[in-house]
Order: sequence, then structure tokens, then C-alpha cells
Amino acid sequence: MTRITLLLLLLFSQSLLAQQIQIVDKQNQPVKNAVVWLKGSKQVSALDSHYTMSQKKRAFVPHVLAVPQGANVEFPNLDSIMHHVYSFSKTKQFELKLYHDKPEKPINFAQSGVVELGCNIHDWMLGYIVVVDGGIYGQTDEQGMVELRLPEGKFTLAVWHDRFNDISTPETIDMTNNTKLLSYQLKQALLPKLELSSDEFDDYE
Amino acid sequence: MNKWQALLLAGVFGFPAVAFAVHDGQVTVTAVRGDQLASYQRKGIGLYRYDQEHDGVVISQAMLSSRFELTSDWSAHTVVNAHPDPELTIGFTQAYLQYQPLTASRYKWAVKAGGFYPKMSLENPQSGWMSPYNYTNSAINSWIGEEVRAFGLEANIKRPGRKFRSNHSFEGFAAVFKGNDPAGTLLSWRGFAMHDRQTTFNEQIDFAIPHSFEWTQLDKQAEYVEPFEEVDGRFGYYVGAHWDYQKKSQLRVYYYDNNGDPGALNTRTGQYAWDTRFLSAAWLYKFNKQTRIIVQILDGKTAMGTNRGVDNDFYSHFVLLSHKLDQHRLTIRYDYFKVSDHDDWQFDPNQSRGEALTASWRYQLSTKWQVGAEYSVLSSDAQNRPGMGFNEHNSQQQLQLSASWHF
Repeated sequence: MTRITLLLLLLFSQSLLAQQIQIVDKQNQPVKNAVVWLKGSKQVSALDSHYTMSQKKRAFVPHVLAVPQGANVEFPNLDSIMHHVYSFSKTKQFELKLYHDKPEKPINFAQSGVVELGCNIHDWMLGYIVVVDGGIYGQTDEQGMVELRLPEGKFTLAVWHDRFNDISTPETIDMTNNTKLLSYQLKQALLPKLELSSDEFDDYE
Repeated sequence: MNKWQALLLAGVFGFPAVAFAVHDGQVTVTAVRGDQLASYQRKGIGLYRYDQEHDGVVISQAMLSSRFELTSDWSAHTVVNAHPDPELTIGFTQAYLQYQPLTASRYKWAVKAGGFYPKMSLENPQSGWMSPYNYTNSAINSWIGEEVRAFGLEANIKRPGRKFRSNHSFEGFAAVFKGNDPAGTLLSWRGFAMHDRQTTFNEQIDFAIPHSFEWTQLDKQAEYVEPFEEVDGRFGYYVGAHWDYQKKSQLRVYYYDNNGDPGALNTRTGQYAWDTRFLSAAWLYKFNKQTRIIVQILDGKTAMGTNRGVDNDFYSHFVLLSHKLDQHRLTIRYDYFKVSDHDDWQFDPNQSRGEALTASWRYQLSTKWQVGAEYSVLSSDAQNRPGMGFNEHNSQQQLQLSASWHF
């Protein structure tokens, strides 16, 4: 039985190869936290998977969450104070008053695109949900690397980063899977990184 | 506590049934070693909250802060404080309605109506206007906490940096208010003091009665102040501006004018309207995650009487350094304060000055429990003291050991 499974996996992996992709900026520096996805790929991850966008220490955690189209996302408030989370983005508009230990029903993200999250009480809180139109996606690590299971031959990749000038438009590129390591240099310069030294004394701003 | 305060208080505890409410608060128990000079709270010339009479264990803070969600945009906010000194009282230090609409605009605005603090202090950022630094507030914020409160409308507009992809945030405040006419009374006859005793609505504050109160010019003045009373029927105002850089550097500048008519007097309560105006500038800078500095400067004028018989300038500044090491927070603060007398009522000298050094250690035992200690020394002069049979110059000290329970 194990052998058959292995054989099946082997056959399957021939059509979808795990491939390392590195995203670099205009200065050739690795870009972390970029969302990369295979455009139009079939949904492989189950939609009943658990996606969460927490509020912890007055920040959205993770800062950027990538989910497949149709995903349900929960918004647990891990702080003792209240948050008033909202989005006015075209992709999805909603507002939630969130209390500690009082979870709300998850929000469904049926449309692909970028959702910018804010908090009406702590207006420096900023987070993003990137609803991707494809089932194969990932986020780059510190080295700008992400591993995706890509098909052989030609395909189209989309790349998004929160420091893009226009956050509603990802960059796309047609690629051919013929090298061991694929690299993609962003076409646009990233906006400067915003620093924040928020602490617990900002609770009652 | 009067009738409407009792009603409001009943509302706070009855309200959760109709709206979702979030409460938090603290109870702090303090072992005090007070100074021998009697506190102003007991009509003494001492500038600390406590004196030898209080030696032993006291409840220094008992505070409940509540936020009620009325609709998506409207909320009600209250802070109730109970104090055992000078006598057991319970009352509100803040109570206001807030309208903060959720808008798609990147600019955010809000309106407050009720009784509240102008947000000029960077020393008191916690719930209920508490300070996480020293137990005893700076001379400036001790005075703000006892004699300054706005009862009216405040509007603010904010340009949050991150919404504009900027490291800089700006916020502007403008308020009109009634009440707060007697603000300045304590500065004139007592001078600045140092404590964490916030005045609740409608409360009276005692002070040592100067010899000048025996003169006919001042015989209508009560032997206490009701700082939040409306005396002259005129509106006061304040404007403020906040500039924030990455939450690393924060600057707050306020101009306050209670627009008091110095000739107005409420003969029933013995309270004058004081023409009090001041500028406050506060700056907080975080050197790193552990260490920060806070500086604040207060500069103003106050006057009372038809011909401005009492006419004083007041000034204070402090420098506070605070360092956090794991669960320990160490804070040291230097205060300087003075009141200068510019009127020709020789029988009523108001000149005073002083400086103080306050060092505190706080240790966070758990999310709910904190313990700490504070030692403060204060040196002060006041020209009206000899008239009351005291030395013009006095040195004081106060030691506190505290345990706080936060909920």
C-alpha cells in the first residue's frame, strides 16, 4: 500500500514540481513577505482550512495573510483591549467590533484582490489580506525565497508586496520552468519601510 | 456625590444590559511613610498627598474605567474613582460620549461631549489617566489632575501616518467648555503640589488658609476650591496639536484658556472665576525599546478679582527618564515649579517655588499584579507661609510601597 502511495506521489510530482523562487528588488536585495502565486491555478488547498488574522499587541498578526479565493478568515483578538477592525477595500468591505474571548464568525473572502485592514480605535494598525486567484501560492521568507509546486513549461506568476505603490495591482510575469532556481526582479521600486515603536501605553490613545 | 452623579453611576453599572461594555481598572494598596508637614488635603502646607497621619496602609487608587458600545460609531466612556482621603468619596473623573465615525477617508475625526481631560499629558497614558512611571505625578500633571477638566465639546481630526504611507502622524484638537472657572486657585494660595489624587466631578479641595483671607478683599473666598464649577457663564476653550514620528517621538502642544471673568464670583459657593490661560508642551522620546525620556513645560497666567487683585504667573517643567528591564521599570523624575506674584495686594503674597526628585521602581509580577516602591524629596518656598506661622522654606520627603491589582 505504501509503495503504491509513493508511486502515485511520484507520478503526481512529475507534473507539479516543487520549485524555489527568489524575489529580489531593484537593488537585487531579497524581498521578504512578498505574496507569490500561480495565476489561475486550480484550488488545491481545501477551503475549509483555518485562516486567522489575529490582533496581538495592537498589531495585525500576520501583517500580510495570503488566502485562496473563497477562504473563511477568523479575526481573534488576543489583546485584552477592544479592536474595531474594518476594510473599505473593493475586494471586501466589513467591520467587526472585536473583544477578547468573544470570537466573531469568520469573514468569507469570495473575490480575489487585496483587502487593507485598519482599526478604528488604534489607527496605526495596518494589515493586509491578499485573496489570490489560484490555489498555488506562498510568501517569501527572510531570503526572499518561496517554494511553490509549479507545472512544467510555461506559466504566469503574480507577485504582490505591501510596499508597492499601487497595492491593488500585483506584478505578473510569464515564466518557463527550466532552471533549478527561478528568480524574479520586481519592476517597481518598493516604497520605504515604515517603522513603528508602539507599546502597551498606546492602548488608550 | 450629587444626584446626577449618583444617577450616572447607577447607569454605569446598569448599562451592560443594553450595550456591550468593556471594563478595566485597578486597586492599589500603599504603605506610606509620610512627611511631618500636614498635607494640603488636611489644610496643611505640605505639598504631598500624604503626611504622618496617613502612616500605615492606605488605598491609594481604586478606579474603574468603562467603555460602552452604543452603535458602531457612538460609545460612552466613564472613569469612576474612589478615594479614602481626605474623606471617603466616590465619583467620576471622566464621563463623556464619543462619536467616532468609521469613514473610508484616510483622515479620521471624532467628537467628544461630556467631562474629560485635554490630552496634554504624556506621563498619564494609561486607563483612568494613570501613570505607568512614578506613583506620584509631576507637579504639572498633579495640577492638571486636580484643577483642570473640560466640560463641553471637543473635536479632533487626525492624519494617521500609516494611512498616508508616512512615518509622521498629525492630530489637531479644539474644544469649548464650561466649568473649570476656579482653576488657578490652588496655584495662587498653595502653589504646585505633587500627588496622584485626581479630583472627581463636583469635589472640593482643601488647602492651608492664608492669612490674607482675613482681609475684606478676600473674605468672600471659601476656604476650599471647587475647581470644576461654572461661575461666570462664559465658554472657555483649548486647542492642541500632536505630532508623532513612528511612535518613537511624540510631541503634544496645547493652549488652554478658561476665559474666566476675574470679576465674577459665586457668593453661595465662595468661588471666583479665575482668568487662567497656559501653554503646555510635552515631548516623549524612546531611545530604544527600554529607555525613554519625557519632558513637559507648563507656562501660564492666572488672575482673580474685579481689578485683578490676585495676578500671578506660573511655570513648571519636569524631566523624566524611564528604563524597562524585563519586568522591572525604573523611573526618575526632576520637577521644578514656581508661581510669581504680579499684583499690588501686598497683604496676599502668592510667590512660591520648589523642586523635587522622585524615584520609582515597579515590578510586574503577572498581568494582574504589580508591586513597587517610590521615594520622593521635595524642597519648596512660599511667601504666604510665615503669615500662617510656618517657615517660608520647607523640605519634605515621602516613601511609598505599593501593590496594584489590575482587572
